[in-house]
Amino acid sequence: MKTAGQTANELIRLDQLPPRLCAVVRHIETDDEEMQRLKTLGVCLGRRVELVKAGDPLILKVFGSRLGLSAALASHVQVEVCQPDHCALREDDGA
Amino acid sequence: MNATPESPARSRHFTLALVGNPNAGKTTLFNALTGLRAKTANFPGTTVERKVGRLHLDHKQVVVVDLPGLYSLDSKSPDEKLAADALQGKLEHTAPDAALVVMDATNLERNLFLVSQLLELKCPVIVALNMMDMAKRDGIRIDVTKLRAELGCMVVPVSARNGEGLDELKYELNRLVTGAMPEAVDHVDPKCAGCTGCTFQARYEWTEQISTRVMDAATVQRSVWTDKLDDIFTHPVFGVIAFLGVMLAVFALIFWAAKIPMDLIDHLFATVGNGVSRMLPEGDLQSLIVNGVIAGVGGILVFLPQICILFFALSLLEDTGYLARAAFVMDKVMRRFGLPGKAFVPMLSAHACAIPAIMSARVIENPRNRLVTILITPLMTCSARIPVYAMVTALIFPHSPLKAALIFTAAYAIGIIAALSCALLFKHTILPGGSKPLMIELPPYRVPGLRTALLHTFDRAMIFVKQAGTVILVISLIMWALSHYPKSEAPAAAVAMQSQAGLLEKTGEQTKADELRVEADRLTAQYSLQHSFAGKIGHVIEPVIAPLGYDWQIGIGIFSSFAAREVIVSTLAIVYGVGEDDSNNTSLYDTLRRAKRTDGSPVFTTATCLSLLVFYILAAQCLSTQAVVRRETNSWKWPLFQIAYMSVLAYVAALVVYQTFRYYGYA
Repeated sequence: MKTAGQTANELIRLDQLPPRLCAVVRHIETDDEEMQRLKTLGVCLGRRVELVKAGDPLILKVFGSRLGLSAALASHVQVEVCQPDHCALREDDGA
Repeated sequence: MNATPESPARSRHFTLALVGNPNAGKTTLFNALTGLRAKTANFPGTTVERKVGRLHLDHKQVVVVDLPGLYSLDSKSPDEKLAADALQGKLEHTAPDAALVVMDATNLERNLFLVSQLLELKCPVIVALNMMDMAKRDGIRIDVTKLRAELGCMVVPVSARNGEGLDELKYELNRLVTGAMPEAVDHVDPKCAGCTGCTFQARYEWTEQISTRVMDAATVQRSVWTDKLDDIFTHPVFGVIAFLGVMLAVFALIFWAAKIPMDLIDHLFATVGNGVSRMLPEGDLQSLIVNGVIAGVGGILVFLPQICILFFALSLLEDTGYLARAAFVMDKVMRRFGLPGKAFVPMLSAHACAIPAIMSARVIENPRNRLVTILITPLMTCSARIPVYAMVTALIFPHSPLKAALIFTAAYAIGIIAALSCALLFKHTILPGGSKPLMIELPPYRVPGLRTALLHTFDRAMIFVKQAGTVILVISLIMWALSHYPKSEAPAAAVAMQSQAGLLEKTGEQTKADELRVEADRLTAQYSLQHSFAGKIGHVIEPVIAPLGYDWQIGIGIFSSFAAREVIVSTLAIVYGVGEDDSNNTSLYDTLRRAKRTDGSPVFTTATCLSLLVFYILAAQCLSTQAVVRRETNSWKWPLFQIAYMSVLAYVAALVVYQTFRYYGYA
């Protein structure tokens, strides 16, 4: 499991994100049709995502919805894991 | 052009397009607004469906068009693209007069994405904020007045499933339709498209800002149940077990529960047929009405119970949110064959009947995947094949139920293996690309709406009866004509028997006379079928089917079963002179076992029987299925291709089986 010790801007692949941690999308490698669709569904730069269930396919939480996603697609997305002091998942900060 | 084209008093009906994200409850709202009067039709030239209904407002009638659900206006998927095109008037008809946007209140941020795009269009907009009951349950509080101000257009909170807020929505729609709602046109322009960088990012920042301002979600308790259920239903092992359980239950329903109404329909049509034959004088007209029309209509309606049960069950499963999980969990297995996870639904249903199975392939969104699934689905052993399997196994192993059961099981397995192999073959040849990587929204679990399920079932049943039914009726009339014409005189032996029976009747020996008459009818039927067009076709195709071990009489059976496979049993009964109404099949099997070729060797050897079995597993002998395939693929190309590939497959496989067994001395 990742701990709070890492630097804030360390990027990891979305399919390697540990479950139940929230993260922010920072980089998307390709821009093909599938990726366009993924962005439409909310996995785009600056969005918060949370891995609900690891594996292939994995389950991702974006906004209020859950997304079943093949790990191959998720591997094109790089995310920054939120730190406890600046994690801003909507459910936690109460808007 | 009208002199005052903008006048609200124009004669054309006001068109209202229903748009929204998938799973936002669009169809439920559509049903609540329009009820039973809705019609389902494809977009011209496509297989994408839209529903059109009428909504009665005070003194006006509004045409409501339910467009396919979409996430974004610039989506590439065919359903979404059509919805977007229809909305912008890019299809052949004009753009709708206004758009009713259905938003899921429990997922405001994502739903606002589409709203932001719609606000940029010139089309007048009104928003129905749906699922307010769910939002309340989850502790989401939305300030509707604030949201109205932010979007600058009318927002009506509703809960389509229990009818809350519908009156207010209708009131506002009335204002919109009569031109008394300036804010519908004069709304906020989010101006996201012009932003530099990622347009998605800009748009989502806009939606985030708005939802933060209008929503108070401090006490969100959502998805506790969804979490717990997903632990099971998306589990790699338990999920598959649960899926198989659910599908088997659906299968059992189609197979067993449909049996009673199907028998009833069968019985009803037989009774009507008998009644009509007594009322009409014997002859062509009687035969046409009884054996052509009544039998044909009965042959269509007998599928209805299965179709209704399947679509009712599927609608419930989809509404609960389970079907998305099924696709999720089966995706990995099915992907290997170039099929999507949801292909399992039609493949299993096809074990009852391929017709509802092919119609149910609509649960698969991707057109390529849907097509492959439709193409392989008829290879599954449907219930119409069972009488043929029963006949063949009884001929090969009359005294060994165990061996017969083994052959039965093998037949089912061959169908499944052939289907998966063909899917794999298509993936590497004519339909490349395989299944697209999985990306599917898993909506929260919900209690399904009975009204939606019933309307959906009714809708499918009507489509089947109207569109497939008419084709099936025409086919059965053609088959009737081919097996009744040209008319031939009753054979001399039958005439002699009839006159002898007349003599016996005069001497009071009624039973003997009746027996003779039955025998004479049997002979006449045999003779006239053998000399009909069907009989001639049997002779014509004999050289082609001889390498498979069949003679011209089996040829008649194969030809006649192109309308429906199970017909071969009754056709063989007539051709081999057993009598049509013989309820006891043993006499048929005995006769078939004794049947000889012209050279004196038996017809139904082990090799011929096995070859016939393999042929019936694989061949496309159900034109009703092809009629449905035509509707679902919107072209004659694919049903014709399906007949071609399945026939070639069946021919080659039967040839190999016959020649192999003959070589090893089983002929």
